[in-house]
Amino acid sequence: MQIRWKLVVLVVAVVFGVTSLISRETASAAPQAAAPAKTASAASAEPGGALSIPDTTLAINSPTPMSQRVVHYEIDARYDAVKHTVEATEILTYHNLTGQALDHFPFHLYLNGFQPKATWVSEAKLVGNRDTSYAKWEEKEYGSEEIKSFEVVGQGDLTKDLQYIQPDDGNKDDKSVVDVHVPKPIAPGAYVQFKIAFHDQMPETQARTGWKRDFVLGGQWFPKVGVWWQGAWNCHQFHAMTEFFADFGVYDVKLTVPQNEVVGASGVLVEEKSNPDNTNTFTYHGDDIHDFAWTASPRYKVKDDGVFQGQMGPVKLRFLLQPAHWDQAERHERIIKQTLEHFEKWYGPYPYKTLTVVDPEPGSAAGGMEYPTFITGDTSWWAPGGIHLLELVLEHEFGHQYWYGMVATNEFEDAWMDEGINSYTEVKVLDSILGKDTSILNMAGITAGERELQRLGYISVADLDPIAQKGYDYATYNSYGGITYGKTASVLLTLEGIIGEDTMAKAMHTYFMKYRFTHPTKEDFLKTIEEVAGKDLRWYFNQAVYGSKVMDYEVMRVDSFPVNWYEKKEMGFGKKEDKNAVYRSTVWLHRKEDFTMPVEVEIRFSNGEKIREHWDGQSRWTKFSYEKKAKVESAELDPDHKIQIDRNNFNNSYVVEANPKPTHKLSTYWLFLTQWVSQVLAWWAV
Amino acid sequence: MSENKSLLSGGLGMVMRNKRYIFWFWLLNLTLAEFGSAAFRKSAHAILDHSAYADRLVHGFDFSVMLELFARPEFGPMAAMSTPALYFAFLFFLATAIFLPGVFQGYASTYRLPRADFFRACGTNLWRFIRLMIIAAIVMGIVAGILFAISGAIGKKAVESTNEKLPFELQMTGLAVIFLIMTTLRIWFDLAEADIVLNDQRAVRKSIWAGLRHTLRGLLRLLTSYVVATIVAAIMLVGGLWVWMRLVAPESIFGAFMVAQLTLFLLLIPRFWQRGVAVSYWQQKMMVPVVAAQPIAPQSAAPEPAPVAIESMPAPPPPEAPPTLQS
Repeated sequence: MQIRWKLVVLVVAVVFGVTSLISRETASAAPQAAAPAKTASAASAEPGGALSIPDTTLAINSPTPMSQRVVHYEIDARYDAVKHTVEATEILTYHNLTGQALDHFPFHLYLNGFQPKATWVSEAKLVGNRDTSYAKWEEKEYGSEEIKSFEVVGQGDLTKDLQYIQPDDGNKDDKSVVDVHVPKPIAPGAYVQFKIAFHDQMPETQARTGWKRDFVLGGQWFPKVGVWWQGAWNCHQFHAMTEFFADFGVYDVKLTVPQNEVVGASGVLVEEKSNPDNTNTFTYHGDDIHDFAWTASPRYKVKDDGVFQGQMGPVKLRFLLQPAHWDQAERHERIIKQTLEHFEKWYGPYPYKTLTVVDPEPGSAAGGMEYPTFITGDTSWWAPGGIHLLELVLEHEFGHQYWYGMVATNEFEDAWMDEGINSYTEVKVLDSILGKDTSILNMAGITAGERELQRLGYISVADLDPIAQKGYDYATYNSYGGITYGKTASVLLTLEGIIGEDTMAKAMHTYFMKYRFTHPTKEDFLKTIEEVAGKDLRWYFNQAVYGSKVMDYEVMRVDSFPVNWYEKKEMGFGKKEDKNAVYRSTVWLHRKEDFTMPVEVEIRFSNGEKIREHWDGQSRWTKFSYEKKAKVESAELDPDHKIQIDRNNFNNSYVVEANPKPTHKLSTYWLFLTQWVSQVLAWWAV
Repeated sequence: MSENKSLLSGGLGMVMRNKRYIFWFWLLNLTLAEFGSAAFRKSAHAILDHSAYADRLVHGFDFSVMLELFARPEFGPMAAMSTPALYFAFLFFLATAIFLPGVFQGYASTYRLPRADFFRACGTNLWRFIRLMIIAAIVMGIVAGILFAISGAIGKKAVESTNEKLPFELQMTGLAVIFLIMTTLRIWFDLAEADIVLNDQRAVRKSIWAGLRHTLRGLLRLLTSYVVATIVAAIMLVGGLWVWMRLVAPESIFGAFMVAQLTLFLLLIPRFWQRGVAVSYWQQKMMVPVVAAQPIAPQSAAPEPAPVAIESMPAPPPPEAPPTLQS
């Protein structure tokens, strides 16, 4: 009896303790959840009004906010899993830090891009797209985002004043940006609050958002205000080749979904409650992030026992996996932890308390995407260990937590600054984890490294666009991919050769630490490198970043002949060479394209001697001549393989004595294939 | 089971007794493929032979170097490499069609078929085989088209399933069913081919009907035998590739060539084995007994002589192999 009472007391104490703990944990978030009701009537456009952006730190391992918080989104959304719709209300508190009065506010309505006449679909149809061919367009692929009501607190309902604008292409059928003029301009330093009710029709997955079967990924799903950047509103239409740009702030999002759904989202989960109508409501809170994404599927298997001990505190890792991929859970966790380790060591700390890794529905266009503290991978039930695509995608998407998530560049205009810089760090990290020549493929003796594949992506479109092209202005989708990812990675790897690997690492660290939680420009990045390197690198940046010049240096010719060649000598088969003969050897180097850069060449002689020569690479060609008791055996440009942007690696060297082995090896494969196809044809046809 | 065994062993015995056919077909296969890959070799030589970068293909196999090679404009488009290879593959198929009647003839004989007889059989049956192949191509093409369309439609539906493996599993099951049905058709036309040659059948349609009748009649035995031969082929292919990848040093070009050719040589055997099975079956079930003409004894009350089956093939040279009755 006594023991029973003790047990009861113990249970009560434990329950009380846990409840207290939960209350304390949620306390810092709770005021935001309650804030709208409290502050709605007190909304003011005047400085020092009752509105504010919360300075919560619930979702970060930092006692103080890490970004200059401009926005606070409070969204209450209900997902209908049958109709694939979202009914939601949004309260956006905006802090005018622009230094001037604002009389209008543009908002992104990204989901309206998925309409047949919208700019996104028109461009995707014209220049290509990663996921869909758009050979046909089905109704299920339509997406839309409709504002039901729009109120500016203190200034009334402005729903009727909303105007769709098309700042980029004037396409009147595009409704991906809506603009509203406020009757009373918002003074510098003041806050303004918008109350928006909206309705989403999610498309069958397009551009990493939407539904597939019973899965849904909610990306770019709510009206999002543009960014005041470089003295103007920056709020581009949704383009087929570009991603996003937004201000940092605080997110408090309530998601109500059917009870069978397993949910994941940006930020930390602060509350989960069951509703009488067979739904659950999940409340998430995010600090110092500039977007919010979520996912739901009844079939996710969850692995959430992983914790990464980061420099600023523990990071809880949560993996939402497809049942058929459960056996790859360890692989997911391993690569994420290894990547985190490398990023923290090389670039800076990961400050968030969580990272949610989503393994999206197979066959959906939702794989390989990044949102703050939330990424999607891409794998299949058949993922042999020697093919590192799973690792590649997860590393890449995690890398975006730095190059996009924290260093929040303008993805519309400077796509290379998130995708390209991220591709560069991807090469570095994967080289370190999986090996330089085996980071993508290491199976049955066949290998491939990520750096070479990035280069191949670039050289296929080398002369089409400069890196500094606006994201939506690339010639083709292949050019966008090859230049923003491949060229940037190759250009930065080559830069490493120019300024040194250690200096480059220091520059990247400096850039991250200086510009995290800001919106840096290309010049911010390039100047940081110059400052750290202590060198003027304009000659390189002008060609490699701002220009579309192409590099191709070649060893044009190699020649050796006796200096006394005119003297009559016994010649013929079997005659030994005169060991004392002196040869005049010449090596010609040629710049075939318009990109100029100093290069080194290593010349090997038949007596084992090696000579390294430096060429400034400016003239169209140059030659090096020698008189030695040895012939030239080979000449190789860039012998340390520092240059990653040369269009043709085969002509960078010339070996005098032909080596047919590579051709014989490839020919053996080709011959086998030809014979086998012949046999298969003969097997069935006669 | 024992009947199956006799078909398989009978067919294999024919192949083993006539190993030279495999050798000649392999040599033809290799020679034509050498011609077919000449364009590839020439282009590769021009780019790789003097480049130190190409060394990455020899010590190990850097896939990205191969991709870069294929991307070089001076290498030429892949179509320029693959088209000649396909033409020569087609030539091999034609050569197989031309020489196959001789193979059937050789398999059916109990002695080493003289070269002249081999080529005579090829010449005699050439037009008949062409007609048969056209009919076979139409029938097999239609059936394969329908089967792949059905399989594709099922696969498309299966993609909507929440079971990720289902499309693959259905695809594999569909391929297995298609394989069995197409193998059945192959048996039909193999029997028809055997009948045309061994029965000296000018009316191809009669051999087609005979082939169909006997395919249906002995389907289980024949199909089992053909499937066993195909499984052996698959094992040989996988085994050959395994040896190539695991046991041959990356820089050993000669080793790679030898293993590749040995694999391809061995891969020819199962298909010839199947043809041996067809001949064996033909001899057991389809050979038409021919009644030998007997002089009629006038006014005689003697009993009728029993019909005697004689070999339906041309008479072999007397010293080597006297004609015998086939059971």
